[in-house]
Amino acid sequence: MEKKIAVYICSGCGIGDALDIEKLSEVATSEYKVPVCKTHANLCSQEGAKLIQDDIASEGVNSIVVAACSPRVMYDVFNFEGCVLDRVNLREQVVWSQKPNDEDTQMMAEDYLRMGIVKTTKMELPEPYQPDQEMSRDVLVVGGGWTGLNAALEAAEAGRSVVLVEKEAQLGGFQKKVKQKVTFPYKEMKANDIDELIEKVKQNKNITVYTGAKIEKLAGGPCVFNASIKQNGATNEHHIGAVVLAAGWRPYDPNKLDKKLGFGASPNVITNVMFEEMVQAGPIARPSDGQPVKNAAFLQCAGQRDPKHLGYCSTICCVTALKQAIQVKQENPEANVFVLYKEMRTPGQAEDFYRKAQEEGVLFLRCQDPEVLTNGAGLGVKAHDELLGEEVILEDLDLVVLATGMVPETSFGKDFKELVKKEGEEEASDVPVDTVIVSDILNLEYRQGPELPGLRYGFPDSHFICFPYESRRTGIYAAGCVRRAMGTASAAEDGAGAAMKAIQCTELTMKGAAVHPRAGDMTYPEFFMQRCTQCKRCTEECPFGAINEDEKGNPLPQPTRCRRCGVCMGACPERIISFKNYSVGMIGDMIKAIEVPDEYEEKPRIVVLACENDAYPALDMAGLRRMSYNAWVRVVPLRCLGSMNLVWIADSLSKGIDGILLLGCQHGDNYQCHFIKGSELAEIRLSKVKETLDRLVLESERVTFETISITDYHKLPALLDEFAETLEGVGPNPYKGY
Amino acid sequence: MSAKVDTSIMKDLKHFGLKDAHKCFHCGNCTAVCPLSTPENPFPRRFVRYIQLGQKDKILHAPEPWLCYYCGDCSTNCPRGADPGEAMMVTRRYLTSLYDWTGFSRKFYTSEKFEIIAILAVAILVGLGMLLFNTGNPNWEHAHLNSVWPSHAIELADLGMAAILSFLLLTNVFRCFRFIMGDLAFKIPVKIYASKLKELIVHTLTQKKFGKCTDRMQWFVHLMIMTGYASVFLMVVVFINGLTIENLKFQRDVIYPLWHPWRLVGYYSTFAIMYGTTYAIIGRLKKSKAPYKNSHPTDWMFLILLQLTTLTGIFVHITRLVDWPLPTYGLYIVHMMVAVPMLVLEVPFAKWAHLAYRPLVLYLLKVKEAYLQEQPVGAEEVSAEVASAEAVASE
Repeated sequence: MEKKIAVYICSGCGIGDALDIEKLSEVATSEYKVPVCKTHANLCSQEGAKLIQDDIASEGVNSIVVAACSPRVMYDVFNFEGCVLDRVNLREQVVWSQKPNDEDTQMMAEDYLRMGIVKTTKMELPEPYQPDQEMSRDVLVVGGGWTGLNAALEAAEAGRSVVLVEKEAQLGGFQKKVKQKVTFPYKEMKANDIDELIEKVKQNKNITVYTGAKIEKLAGGPCVFNASIKQNGATNEHHIGAVVLAAGWRPYDPNKLDKKLGFGASPNVITNVMFEEMVQAGPIARPSDGQPVKNAAFLQCAGQRDPKHLGYCSTICCVTALKQAIQVKQENPEANVFVLYKEMRTPGQAEDFYRKAQEEGVLFLRCQDPEVLTNGAGLGVKAHDELLGEEVILEDLDLVVLATGMVPETSFGKDFKELVKKEGEEEASDVPVDTVIVSDILNLEYRQGPELPGLRYGFPDSHFICFPYESRRTGIYAAGCVRRAMGTASAAEDGAGAAMKAIQCTELTMKGAAVHPRAGDMTYPEFFMQRCTQCKRCTEECPFGAINEDEKGNPLPQPTRCRRCGVCMGACPERIISFKNYSVGMIGDMIKAIEVPDEYEEKPRIVVLACENDAYPALDMAGLRRMSYNAWVRVVPLRCLGSMNLVWIADSLSKGIDGILLLGCQHGDNYQCHFIKGSELAEIRLSKVKETLDRLVLESERVTFETISITDYHKLPALLDEFAETLEGVGPNPYKGY
Repeated sequence: MSAKVDTSIMKDLKHFGLKDAHKCFHCGNCTAVCPLSTPENPFPRRFVRYIQLGQKDKILHAPEPWLCYYCGDCSTNCPRGADPGEAMMVTRRYLTSLYDWTGFSRKFYTSEKFEIIAILAVAILVGLGMLLFNTGNPNWEHAHLNSVWPSHAIELADLGMAAILSFLLLTNVFRCFRFIMGDLAFKIPVKIYASKLKELIVHTLTQKKFGKCTDRMQWFVHLMIMTGYASVFLMVVVFINGLTIENLKFQRDVIYPLWHPWRLVGYYSTFAIMYGTTYAIIGRLKKSKAPYKNSHPTDWMFLILLQLTTLTGIFVHITRLVDWPLPTYGLYIVHMMVAVPMLVLEVPFAKWAHLAYRPLVLYLLKVKEAYLQEQPVGAEEVSAEVASAEAVASE
């Protein structure tokens, strides 16, 4: 495409008062010989936008630099189809955070304009990715329990073809074992209605059901998945658009529980799941001799919220215990029923059900560490009742029910890392590897392992804050108890939510667009394979397992799995990976466009590589609140700090830039990175560049990494100024002027 | 030592009027809002727990139920409608029955039928007794009570009744004392007991603790009933024969002039009791505030007997003033038939027993406090006491 660049400078919102707009225009017209450069007092007005549109129509302008406000605002106004566009942030990050009419402020604005023009010169219009294979919109639902059935039905009713795979011979999962359930409005118990749901699913023409089946192989990516489903020895192939994983849970093994809970020591000590089965089979009776139950105790959190067993709360056991306690009471109103709990967790309307249990006469004891007494003739429980402040004893119990928790199906199996490790070969990798447990559910053909990576406790959660259902494998959405422990009300909602995410994913992928968190992005990474050295860094570091590799170690990108974070671009030592509008060369050129005054002028320069998800908005917010910081910084937004390529550091330093500050998101257990590992990877790369710096006799303080979240904007000015002070101590970069 | 959980207590307490204690989820709002609860003696939350877990022993040895005057703040502020004030009231009824060694009290509280029959029986006995035992020579010209039942004879009957009453009440009071003081009962020197007697008198007369409740109306009404009742009691029991001084005789046939103290005190008492009981009866009928929401049969019996006694007393006074002999004598019998069962049965066995227990417990607490202050720190009992007080305070 023959580019015709136009620069539009807005003088509104105080920009014109703080800057010499005429001088700024000269950067475009004289330095870069941009054919069109116009200023307007209110560029985001209808008149301003029309000015640009007219130039597109009459002058053939197709590459636009808008020097006005932050790209985070007015994006709907400055949106011109078929044109390359860059926004130069003169408002929030220059005039609102710097001294007006100051020489340094003017220099900053001019540098940003230079960077914008250079970037626009380098950017290309994206061409959406279209795979060679035929694309499918079908939804594969893995697991035919309550969640899976709901997901399948929701997707089918939205018009999608659904393939439902259940490993057991019949549909229904755990809920088939339940006689009564408690759900909205949590006033009474209800008869279990799973059979109606199963019937609806079976009747639905859009749903193909495989029972007693398993997924042997799942290859490809969103819209181009190939699923091999094995049933009765035969293998069926399906083209799949997206996947809902609703594999469910297993009860925690009660034999692993602490001996003081008495499981195994008396037949009258059972689990909540065993109680559920007893209710469905017949009367509630003492397991040892079938006598009616007069005294029963329910012990909550058996091996739950306990680092030695399950570290989390299964959320449903409290309401389940209430239900079971009421069932005992209803069978024998004279029975004494005790519930021993750490904390009673009946959120929302479930509180009403707790009241009902109180009304029925169930007695509650708050106790952190009860002990089941199985010695001697009778069964008893010793408990420190915190509401009394004393130890109490429950005697003559006929039944003790232990609330064991939910364990996700995805947590059963060996660690993929251990399985692939070949003897004596493994060298310590710097890059942290995700835990993939080979649970034999999805059997993905992915280089990084056959299942979804887990975060904690074997849940395949992506820890995408505020984004449920997301996993670290694009197009595969987790729902129900495999995602986190939950009751039927949440699970039904989960099933529907994940089905909607799956549909959304296929719709975006069909258009060649990215899914969350860069939803709608039409670019994708392109590999210049001739220069690939098979170093495997891209395949190892991709947080989403989007890149497979062939036997020789050549990357085999699967663009429909890609989230467009650019981590591969940052990882590649050969710099062969680039996007149409984002590349190593482009950012490098932007850095090189910064004018670096010689050391006698005492105007240092700092390049800030800022994550555009958190750090960049935080800088905007600091400007919005008129917080000022030093005029030496030049901010370059990055898709993710994980796309930071070390060559930019070298580019900056050889240009005479005094310091480089990397602003990324918090990483570690409570990471905030939109792409999971980006900031962590950036810091790992940085640790390597420091050795190089020392070797070049350049002070390692010149390059610093800081984590910042969007709410930390108030810390930014001090952070930036302190870095400038540090650099002052270190002295000017000796490479200035070369 | 571990305490056994006994669910039968809670079922038993339903007879004593327990309704909503099972709704409590122990947030402690009640204890927080109670103006009388202290870190050393916290209530009512703890007692709801004792009830739920059937900790009879704990209840038996606890002074706190008597520190509560049932202003109802706790029940009004309870987020679960568990009515902790009522739980405290039930505890007091239960304690009254536990202190009572005769077992009558328990019968009274647990059986409405028994209570009515007992009162009727005593009433009939009194009526019959008065018809059988009299001078046999009434004055039909003038309404002269002494001509039928001379005041010295009534005084004798009074003394007899007072002796029985005192015996029953004091034996129960002694048991209460033992339960509250435990091992300390006889360890504390008499000197300390004596030094705190002032507290006993002050509390009995003013009920100043009740005045600390937010709803001071309850304190006022209670004070009216108490002072009215106490002064009448003094007049009819102690001064019925005026300690043989003619001008101090309560029951005499010459009507006192209006300014005479007995007439003034009598009018005050009549007004005070009528005002107090009417306020309480209307309150209980309308369920106007938390302490009036739940009425146990014994509550009604108490108010009805008190008001009936007063009403018949007023009638006797009027018939005497207008000098109608027959109605005077008849109404006097009725008056006695109401007043005697009220005193004999209600005071040692039912609601009225609190007139002894409440000031006693307050007094004993002061004694205990004074004793513990005198003890050198490190003494075994003291540290145990302090530890338990701290455990309680920290809840």
